[in-house]
Amino acid sequence: MSLSLGEKLKIRSMIYVAAEPVPFFWPMRTFIHHNPLHGLEHLPFAEAAEKGSKIFHGRSFLPRTMYQEYLSCGKADRKKLESIVAEFADSQPEIGGVDLKRWLMTLLTEMDEHVITSDVLVDTGDIHAALSGSALAPKPDDLSEILATQLRSQLLKDRPIYESVDALYGCKIGDDLDELVVKSCLDFYDEGQSVWAMPKREVGFFKAWSNVARRNVRLFLRGIRVGEIIEEDDSPEGVITHVLKTLGIPEQHWTSYFTRELARLHGWAGFIRWRESAKNYHYTKLYPGDLVDFMAVRMTLALALLQERGHYHAAYTNSAIESLIGSQTKEIYLRHEFHGRHVMPAMAHKVDVALASGKQDLMEDTFNEYVQAKRLNVANAQVEKLRALAQKAGDAGALDQLSVEQIFSLLEALHAFEKQEGMCWLRSMEEQAMEHLIEGVTLGPPVQRKKRPFAQALFCIDVRSERVRRHLEGVGDYQTYGIAGFFGVPVSFMELGKGSESHLAPVIVTPKNVVLEVTTDGVSEDTAALTALEHAMHELKESVVSPFVTVEAIGLLFGLDMIGKTIAPKSYNTWRKRFHEDKPSTLLLLDKLTREQADSVVRTVQRAVIIKAVEQELEFKPEQITDDMIRGLRECAMENPQETGDLLRELNISEERFNTLVKRLQDGYRINPSFADRQMEQLGRIGFSLDEQANFVAGALSSIGLTKGFSRFILIMGHGSCSDNNPYESALDCGACGGNHGLVSARVIAQMANKPEVRKRVREMGVDISDDAWFVPGLHNTTTDELKLHDLDTMPPSHLFYLDRLNTGLVSASHLAAQERLPTLQKSVPENATRAFLETQRNSMDWSQVRPEWGLSRNCYFIIGRRELTQQFNLDGRSFLNSYDYRVDPKRRLLESIITGPLVVGQWINMEHYFSAVDNENFGSGSKAYHNVAGRFGVMTGNLSDLRTGLPSQTVLHEGKPYHEPVRLITLIEAPFEHAQRAVEAVVSVKHLVRNGWIRLMVIDPEVGKIFIFEDGQWRSRPANVVETLEESA
Amino acid sequence: MSGILLLLAGLFLPLFPLSMVFNGLFGRMQNRTLRIALLLIWPQIGVALVVASGMDVPGWMLVWALLTAIFYGFRALVLREVSLWVSFIATSVWAVMWLVMDSQGAGWYELAKYALGFSLPLILLLLLSGELEQRFGAAYTGLYNGLAQPLPRLSWLIVMVVLAVIATPLFPAFSAVMAAMLNVAPDSFMMALMLSIAWFMWGWAGARLIQGLLIGKETGAIATQADISSGKAWIYAVVLVVMVLSGIYMIGGLA
Repeated sequence: MSLSLGEKLKIRSMIYVAAEPVPFFWPMRTFIHHNPLHGLEHLPFAEAAEKGSKIFHGRSFLPRTMYQEYLSCGKADRKKLESIVAEFADSQPEIGGVDLKRWLMTLLTEMDEHVITSDVLVDTGDIHAALSGSALAPKPDDLSEILATQLRSQLLKDRPIYESVDALYGCKIGDDLDELVVKSCLDFYDEGQSVWAMPKREVGFFKAWSNVARRNVRLFLRGIRVGEIIEEDDSPEGVITHVLKTLGIPEQHWTSYFTRELARLHGWAGFIRWRESAKNYHYTKLYPGDLVDFMAVRMTLALALLQERGHYHAAYTNSAIESLIGSQTKEIYLRHEFHGRHVMPAMAHKVDVALASGKQDLMEDTFNEYVQAKRLNVANAQVEKLRALAQKAGDAGALDQLSVEQIFSLLEALHAFEKQEGMCWLRSMEEQAMEHLIEGVTLGPPVQRKKRPFAQALFCIDVRSERVRRHLEGVGDYQTYGIAGFFGVPVSFMELGKGSESHLAPVIVTPKNVVLEVTTDGVSEDTAALTALEHAMHELKESVVSPFVTVEAIGLLFGLDMIGKTIAPKSYNTWRKRFHEDKPSTLLLLDKLTREQADSVVRTVQRAVIIKAVEQELEFKPEQITDDMIRGLRECAMENPQETGDLLRELNISEERFNTLVKRLQDGYRINPSFADRQMEQLGRIGFSLDEQANFVAGALSSIGLTKGFSRFILIMGHGSCSDNNPYESALDCGACGGNHGLVSARVIAQMANKPEVRKRVREMGVDISDDAWFVPGLHNTTTDELKLHDLDTMPPSHLFYLDRLNTGLVSASHLAAQERLPTLQKSVPENATRAFLETQRNSMDWSQVRPEWGLSRNCYFIIGRRELTQQFNLDGRSFLNSYDYRVDPKRRLLESIITGPLVVGQWINMEHYFSAVDNENFGSGSKAYHNVAGRFGVMTGNLSDLRTGLPSQTVLHEGKPYHEPVRLITLIEAPFEHAQRAVEAVVSVKHLVRNGWIRLMVIDPEVGKIFIFEDGQWRSRPANVVETLEESA
Repeated sequence: MSGILLLLAGLFLPLFPLSMVFNGLFGRMQNRTLRIALLLIWPQIGVALVVASGMDVPGWMLVWALLTAIFYGFRALVLREVSLWVSFIATSVWAVMWLVMDSQGAGWYELAKYALGFSLPLILLLLLSGELEQRFGAAYTGLYNGLAQPLPRLSWLIVMVVLAVIATPLFPAFSAVMAAMLNVAPDSFMMALMLSIAWFMWGWAGARLIQGLLIGKETGAIATQADISSGKAWIYAVVLVVMVLSGIYMIGGLA
């Protein structure tokens, strides 16, 4: 079998389309918060939630009892609930004496479980009979046909065949298949965790896997013959086609079949999908593998497993199952009931015995008995629930008066309402949250300050900044601003001593400029003793054999380390740090290189390489190597015409050896024109031009409305977290910096803004930075709330006098914020703020601490406006705060930029928390306690599972219940209504998010003193809290 | 006469195929109290008959008993209905009583104690299966997994009782198995091996039972079910503690 190019492309495009609902999964080193239903954002929220639940077998809303708890403690709005219920009831036909509004409210607020239990065996007549206590009508004559139709819809179409076989025979092929696929993925996608890697990975996933699978003895011993399937075609597309045709899947179902296959391991599928899109990812370039490969591996193993189990159960193709449904409907029904876990427990044994016997007459008798019992059971259960509802609604007798038609209408209405119940609760919770915000925000004219503040601080918009900002404003004359934590400067950062770039920007932005970190202390080739020892220990631990032989020799050392970390994490870690080498003092290479400078850098590098090469190849001592020698060799390698006579004499080698050396320099040491061009190109990416720097600085400051009145200190506070033994550490870092610490971004913009020539240009752009203003970068450690300033050695001496006051303010704010936050993490909280701060420090160093901080949990609001709007309002660390002043943005460009970047990232964060909280097992990653790192890029539960996406239970749940209150992101923009509306309309992606209900949008218009709320496709307005003047802070 | 008594004892300390009588009777009896009575009395009759016979148990009968124990242990591996599981495991463990009775000088009281040590945890498991039936309509493994988190007290009791059934150290059944082992091991390695296999089968069957009920993802119906009351749990716990203490006492008796 060999496919044409067109057929191959068809398979590829089908898989591409099928994978769209599967969200990307980024490696956890740079954890990216994302919406698990991102692929369905083109749909309205309610519709996407329903579809997502089906695809990923997850829950999109909390259980009713949880919402009832929210209602009882005032976190859901009863009036809103009543209005939604009234609206729904009004759209339904009259049902006898049933007060539908009251019934529905009772259903929502007093019933623990769903009331409607539907089953194809029971109709309204049966329920009516059960209500009146009469016997059920005989089972319908066409029952077999009804059941066959139901079985076809449940077992055929796009359902993976092995799932159907499992549902009929209980042979668990699906579980075995997932296990084998996960093992294959772990082998191929490993990024250095395994000691023995899969051979020949560079040929691609499917081919590398095929090479190994053909000779896999374990598969052979299990009777899984993959070789014959792989032989069918060389290409993954061909194998996929072969398997689908063998299984008899109709071509019109292939795309949805692929989606269901991918959704079974959506973590791995999401990772491979992301990896496929990240063309510059180191491992993608090294070991290519895409979803087509993944699908081919999965399909091959699926068919092999089906064929192996086929020895016992002949029906493993679509047509065979179809024919069984038609010819042995009763047996298949009983099988589906039993193995699909739908069987009535009381009859489980009887059904099991009948199925095991294989006797048709016993099967027939059991079927008749079972169907009758089930009909009675379902009808009675339904009646019981209806009666309980009627009684609670105060209409106990109403049910007995209803006709069959009225019961039908009642059941239909209840069924329709329960289907949309989740949205009712969600809207009611959001109404309450919006009301809380509207009551808290205060609208007033801009504050006129008598003198400039002592310091201004720019924090990330992150919800965790809100607390520390509030406290900083409270302890002194500080003015704070919120701005996306990359400060508007997308940077590709190359850290000192690392060979790869990290993107410090929101994931939707690709940085063009590279910033290098260079040391001011010179390069040291010595490694601290402890660091070297740690490396050696790590190697020993990772090796295959060494743990067996070294455990007794060095196991004790690990034991001591473990005791130290466990008993006294803070003291032990502080003591241990003394043995580590401190990071040297560094500067960032920010300025663009001129062509001459770049050329000089390339020459310098080439020179250093040639010296090493001559030492290696000719065994020369360094003092024997002269400048002329190096120059000559370089010119030859760079293919510039060169007289070689003197050079040959100096090197004292034959011409033949000389030519070999030059060739070696060109090929081995990459001293050649094309590589030099590439180096020049790379060097061209380094740094920013003066214009770029001025634009970034002016843009960042204007976007937050800081264009004048600069104080002496402008603190640029990036943020990051610090915890031990935590694969999710990066999830606690700055999302705007691509899941990295924000310090580098802070250093970049501070370094730019402190340059006189940049300031000059910025001033021309209307941002008047005073001459004595100094930008100081710093880091807000969100685990401890510590605020630490950096690059103080570059500060002008005139500012050093004020440094003590500045530090005192920062320390006080840190301690107070830690004291406010600590009660959310632990029960015993010291009264003293300093001790509370020390407790948070201990948490950050404790390797057994599964919850070093709550991260962005409980995020709820995104406020785009001046700080004065919420300065007097304790937002309890629940709001993203993006400073914005519409008065400096007449063309709405800054607002558009805020809603395009930070707001979208905020929405991803919000949705990730939402779904992880409502269904932590399916959309979240379950408990951290069972997690194991997989391949160095993800985590699995136990030793083998799908890659766990989403957030762990320790981040969103508290004692099994949501700590994060799941609502959609409530966004408030402070601007004239038309100004905000036009900005939203101009950004298509955001417009769709708002219209489809993924974001709840409000606009507070300071010019008319009103709040506009977007709901159900239209705007409604209400008055805002307006004050004449706002108090000047501290 | 003694031979007939011994053969009759094969009904009560069941030997295959005589064991079918007990299993048939147990399966037909739907009343839990009667089942408990059967579990309690049935092996005691067997013990009494053997003691009354005054005969030494012949070697071929010991092999027969071991084969029965292995066979029923093996059958229990695939059983999903808990009361049936109890019945089959009872048959398997009681068969081991023949090896205990081979003990020189073991009197009726001693043997009755061991038989009770086998019966008591089975009775507890039967009672716990009633708790499951009350909540889910049947005590059947694999239908509703994942009880451990939503019903922690009931799950804990099931685990402890199953451990007692499968003769885990400290429980009385362990003493009985050890007594049997000490009886046969010095004379016959093969019989010791067969006893170990039977013991292994019980452990395996017990693990499958626990896995089929307590482990895995919980299904929707489970979350709404109430756990066993703490009062009841305490009663079970006290009985378990008494069993452990008597198990320790019985081990001491071996010395």
